[in-house]
Amino acid sequence: MEAGAPGSAVGGSHRPGIHLFVPMLHRRDAVGEHTRVLRDQLLAAGIPSRIYIDMPDPETADETRPYREYERDAVPGDVLVYQVATRSDMVGWLEHRPERLVLNYHSITPARFFAPWHDGIARAQEAAIEELSGLATRAVLGIGVSEFDAGELRAAGCPSTLVVPVANVGLPLVPPDPAAVAALKGRAVGRGPWWLSVGRLAPNKAHQDTIAALFVARSTTSPGAHLTIVGSAPEPHYGAALRRYVADLGLTGAVEFVSGISAGELAARYAGADVLVMLSEHEGFGVPLVEAMAHGLPVVAYDAGAVAEVVGEAGVLLQSKTPRLVSGEVDRLLNDPGRRMALVEAGRARLAALGLERAGSDLVAVLEKVAASGTSAATP
Amino acid sequence: MTESPDLPEDEQELLEAFARLAPEGSAEWNFENSMRRLSTPAERPTWVGPWSGLPADLWERGRATKASERVMGDVIKVVAQDLTDYTQQAVDELRRFVPEASAVDAAIRSLAARVERLERTADPLGIRPTEFDLPATDAREWARAVPAWLDGGSGLPVVVGELSDRSVLDALADAGVVVEGVDPRGAVFWAAEEAAAAQPDAHRAQFTLRDVVDHLDGLASSSRSGVVLSGCIDRASLAEKLALVDAALAALTPGGTLVLLVADQQAWDAAIDLVSRDLLPGRPFHPDTWAVVLAHRGMADVEVHRAAQGSVHAIVTRKGS
Repeated sequence: MEAGAPGSAVGGSHRPGIHLFVPMLHRRDAVGEHTRVLRDQLLAAGIPSRIYIDMPDPETADETRPYREYERDAVPGDVLVYQVATRSDMVGWLEHRPERLVLNYHSITPARFFAPWHDGIARAQEAAIEELSGLATRAVLGIGVSEFDAGELRAAGCPSTLVVPVANVGLPLVPPDPAAVAALKGRAVGRGPWWLSVGRLAPNKAHQDTIAALFVARSTTSPGAHLTIVGSAPEPHYGAALRRYVADLGLTGAVEFVSGISAGELAARYAGADVLVMLSEHEGFGVPLVEAMAHGLPVVAYDAGAVAEVVGEAGVLLQSKTPRLVSGEVDRLLNDPGRRMALVEAGRARLAALGLERAGSDLVAVLEKVAASGTSAATP
Repeated sequence: MTESPDLPEDEQELLEAFARLAPEGSAEWNFENSMRRLSTPAERPTWVGPWSGLPADLWERGRATKASERVMGDVIKVVAQDLTDYTQQAVDELRRFVPEASAVDAAIRSLAARVERLERTADPLGIRPTEFDLPATDAREWARAVPAWLDGGSGLPVVVGELSDRSVLDALADAGVVVEGVDPRGAVFWAAEEAAAAQPDAHRAQFTLRDVVDHLDGLASSSRSGVVLSGCIDRASLAEKLALVDAALAALTPGGTLVLLVADQQAWDAAIDLVSRDLLPGRPFHPDTWAVVLAHRGMADVEVHRAAQGSVHAIVTRKGS
């Protein structure tokens, strides 16, 4: 049993704690991993902390409790931290809890991205935004993982906000899986530049724009260019359309879709690729940007959401992403070793400036301050 | 989606090619766009279009069908959502007076989760069986026999679904039988319509672009003299196979004939790729299995005609009077 699991010594404490509420706790999921890291750091700091969920995941069931059980567990002085990313039935319940509430906001993808693809998800996203409006005014503090997200929190009515990046970015780096590196090297022989795109097969990620740019690149300057898209699909239609698009464009052998791989296998792809192309239209943070910079992989990205904030001067930021423009920018970057090296170096410096290794402890410090003061810890 | 009025035509078309793959609007979302696509004639074909050799507006016709299916699906969803909301309100009201009502609430939530899981089981990949590249059923061996088995019908129409290689449908039409050809695959449907348009008036086939089971379900009871099933009957799951047979028997007039043209199992396994074999909901039944199933359905006389030349067996049975 893990620390903080139901029945553990710390989990059963009668001291005030900082408890985490998340609709679902999944492993290998950005919000899920962030929540688990935060829980572990709170426990390491000697602060009672449990994770309460709405919908159980069998894989994490031994470290979560149904949120209504908190009514039994509540201790005066508790602080409740809600991880905001999707809609949840627990929001209505949280709104009426007397404890101090902190929102840890991970960005809600606007419904318009899902609307043409999946009504259910689109409705859920719209409901999530409505729920955020209800909770924001009730929270003593809103924590965004980027200034972009903090802005969305303020727009929702959150009176006090601050920014602390995600606590689960893989630092120190997971080394590339040697078997995957060997296999990928074998496949790369005789091929052209390798583009990498990492992100769920969700419409806001706009993978189709990367595919269209690859199509142009292969038709013009770079016939051997190939692309790996790493990401799972939250709904079937968009991913199926991407695969159909690849087939229709005659790119079946040039585009590879990968999901469910280990951190080492993903690291092997970062290590082997020539460029990360990220043309997402809504990014609350952009973990792949950080991972690419950490692996010394240059970035070409569309300037949307928090992308510019995370990348800074350490990547090629595009204000438009028409296929020829993206293809041209990637081509120019890959054919200019000096610029490429400069960007890789800038990426390492940018990574240090972001201070992600402190993110978890920073977040704990902020929450401790909320718990101690009984009021907001942020400057409005 | 990146769109710009200043974008060169070829780039614009490249991006539009992807936009066309979206399931498109619905009753709640992008409804105007959905209606525009239903009512607007075909736009120019794209240079990356995958339908070379087929009618230029085939893509749009398929899109319109998909969009209309989507609208209907959403009407059902909205009604279901209203019902759920109403039930939730009722439970909320009840909970105000009876604390134990939270158990009812929990049961509803559990039921909703089960329905969601069931939906995922039913359509886990979002791929329709008709999207797989399957060989057409080669029914030529039985093209002459089927009109004889149907004995010219009783003046009532005969349903042929799916169209396979059209040999059976053509033979029936040539024999003067009123034939309804049904197929859910746009390419097959339009090809059959085009071929029929080139035939003289005596060729009396009519075509419907629809799933065969849906078409049969929509027919009046005892309104057809014969039903010939092929293709769909092979790739369907057990439950879907039974639904097809039951719908066909319901549509048949007493004394009417049901003909199943089923692929030989070994030939089927050899003809389709591994992915299709893994992902399709079903595979052909052995003719003996069909004999058992039809007997279980109350059919007294079941004739099994095994393939002598081709790879398709014929099972013939008649509805009792």
